[in-house]
Amino acid sequence: MRFVDPRPHHDCQVLVIGSGAGGATTAAILAEAGHDVLIVEEGPWVEQGSVVPFSLEQMDRQYRAGGVTVALGRPSIAYTEGRCAGGGTEINSGLYRRPSEGTLERWRRQTTIADFTDDEFYAACDEIEIALSVQTVPGRHTPASERLRDGAAALGWAHDEIPRWMSYPAGGDASTGKRESMTRTFLPRAAAAGAAMLVEHRVERIVRDRDRAFRAELTGPEGQPVTVDFDVVVVCGGAIQSPALLQRSGWRGLVGKGLAVHPTVKLSARFDAPVNVVDDVPVHQVKEFSPDLSFGGSASQPGLVALSLSDHWPLMRDAVTSWRDIAVYYAAITSEGRGRVTAVPAMRDPLVTYRLTGRDRALLGQGLARLALVMLEAGALEVYPSFRDAPIVRKRADLADATAMFRAATASVMTVHLCSTVPMGEDRTRAATDSMGRVHGAENVYVNDASLLPDAPGVNPQASVMAIAMRNARRLAERLT
Amino acid sequence: MTPALRPHPAATIVTGAAGWLGTALMHALTAPASPWHREGVIRPLVTNRVEADALRALGERIEPVIGDLTSPATLVPLGAGLTGVVDVLHTAGVIHPRTIADFEAINTGGTMAMLALAEQIGARRFVHVSSNSPFGTNAHPGDRFRNDEPYHPYFGYGRSKMHAELAVFDAVERGLDAVIVRPPWFYGPHQPPRQTTFFTMVRRGKFPIIGRGDQMRSMVYVDNLVQGLVRAELVPTPAGRGWWIADARPYAITEIVETVGRALTAEGFEVTPNRTRVPALVGRVAEFADGVIQRTGRYQQQIHVLGEMDKTIACDIEVARIELGYDPEIELYEGMRRSIRWCIERGLEL
Repeated sequence: MRFVDPRPHHDCQVLVIGSGAGGATTAAILAEAGHDVLIVEEGPWVEQGSVVPFSLEQMDRQYRAGGVTVALGRPSIAYTEGRCAGGGTEINSGLYRRPSEGTLERWRRQTTIADFTDDEFYAACDEIEIALSVQTVPGRHTPASERLRDGAAALGWAHDEIPRWMSYPAGGDASTGKRESMTRTFLPRAAAAGAAMLVEHRVERIVRDRDRAFRAELTGPEGQPVTVDFDVVVVCGGAIQSPALLQRSGWRGLVGKGLAVHPTVKLSARFDAPVNVVDDVPVHQVKEFSPDLSFGGSASQPGLVALSLSDHWPLMRDAVTSWRDIAVYYAAITSEGRGRVTAVPAMRDPLVTYRLTGRDRALLGQGLARLALVMLEAGALEVYPSFRDAPIVRKRADLADATAMFRAATASVMTVHLCSTVPMGEDRTRAATDSMGRVHGAENVYVNDASLLPDAPGVNPQASVMAIAMRNARRLAERLT
Repeated sequence: MTPALRPHPAATIVTGAAGWLGTALMHALTAPASPWHREGVIRPLVTNRVEADALRALGERIEPVIGDLTSPATLVPLGAGLTGVVDVLHTAGVIHPRTIADFEAINTGGTMAMLALAEQIGARRFVHVSSNSPFGTNAHPGDRFRNDEPYHPYFGYGRSKMHAELAVFDAVERGLDAVIVRPPWFYGPHQPPRQTTFFTMVRRGKFPIIGRGDQMRSMVYVDNLVQGLVRAELVPTPAGRGWWIADARPYAITEIVETVGRALTAEGFEVTPNRTRVPALVGRVAEFADGVIQRTGRYQQQIHVLGEMDKTIACDIEVARIELGYDPEIELYEGMRRSIRWCIERGLEL
């Protein structure tokens, strides 16, 4: 990577803020089209492989706020964001799924996105899949993944393996994969085409003259003020940071209002043999109830197992010693609720709120119970649902107690898929940017990340984020030439 | 391919034979023109002499036994002196009881007593009629219960029917060949008076549609249920299986009310268009009240039914189609017309 030395002032043609799935893609496309690109990233550059995936060290170095931030509501929803070069792509599960044609059609209609064709979108997916070597596991899966698959199969429920952006050595199995994250793919591509990168610099504000922005005000690693002047700025900080930055810079309106997530509830399951793989996650998902409900496996290193047992610690703590036989799983829903991101003066992080609907709450309960049933069918000896005072489930009859006691308000609800806070489209009553991500009411300010999706895709969103980023970056490259 | 059926048993024991489903089943097993007509002894369990006499009229091989599910000694004659293959069709149950204690005593205790009897006489197969209630309600109108679902019992009835299912699985563990059919809300001839009230409410335009009315309900026409029940008896599946037995698809509440209205009109009734909409809140209040009342050991039918009316209870019958060859022939409109005609023939006021 071509890192720029810290200086008080930088100039560039295009400033890309953020280097995750949206920002890295944007930077590579624009640089390859011959534009002068500077990428600014708040977090550090951490080489893939230098920290253990899903470890506490990784949380500390590569996640925002040490791993967990919270959207307030009843219940509050914990969420995680990457804060490093490559953003979320460095730390997530690497699961890749194209959104359906139905989803694309829904998006097109919802905010009236112009010139948004399936052909162009899926052609971008084709490119991304090659660039990230998206594939299924060539050899054996992890035991936790196989258990989920077997449980679903025993119930006759639809399930499949989600491909990942991973490369494997010849004859390798699930544990040998190397994540083809942005620091290994699109960021080097951007650098090869001449893009420069400034890490550990946080953008505080974009300075504007009426509708035209011209400068970004940053804070450097030592707390020093830094400025960057640009012709065009593309904000790719993710669905929380992008709207917060726009709001701090004076663009409000619909910005930050439509936060969409896939709320998830968790459980852990103890089997009669080791299933825990500390540095990998299952790749199977149960799709029987898709898109309303999806079940999959979560990171399960010992600390996270303990965390999942903490909702009823006195009852469940003894299980911790068997953590090798335990894996954590989630039930995710497509939510009808919406949330809001609001920048608060003098506060570093925005206020995030999210409101689940009655249907969402009921679905979380039904999802958790169905997931527990999958676990029993997979041979789990004990299932530990993650809600306050939850009972241990050992047999089907126990599910009646668990379902009777479940309240969404006391569940540990979390999410990793955040989107839709700056939706794109021509309909200004619903969209905050035009159909290519240019902020309504701004001449040269673009957004190009998960914020643009009109709602949550119901599947792992990185394919959607990158394909839209690629499309919009190409349009922008043409416009700038 | 439709699975082949085993030969009829030499004797069939039918509990709840004077009930809604039981009566329909007895007719189906004995009427010469019925596709489910069978030879051999049939021993229906009834609660009194009037019911026994009515069933005896169906033929000499019908040997009613007057007994009480909560008193196992009274059930012994059901199995006495039978030779050859015996099947047990356990349709008895209480859905709107006097007190909550009746739920467990009859639905759970009665099932355990019948399971013990079936084990004693070495029954070929025991078919237990369960319900949707052990599984609660769907989270939203688009959801469908799959064949296998986690238990989430709906109040006292649901708990007692769940306990009955668990007793069936225990018996299977002990070696009994028992299976379960799970019908949702049923309709059709031989209906009890509360269903007549339903027709009357619809005819007067007074059926309370709670909320948007898009909540879905699986229903089963009683003859469809008879088909599913007999197939569950005669198809040689593994023991311990359970199947949803319902009409081909669930119906929206608004569709149910509209279809019943059409059926009544077609049968010559004057039907007032239904405009009785009730805010969703009323359903939630009724559900809450139902819970409070049931915790005190009592039961209030109207409150219970109202509390359930804003819920989706919808199931998927695909596995029954595949494993049993179950094919529900009657849909809502035709089923309701037959049901209304049955009421008219019996001079019931709608």
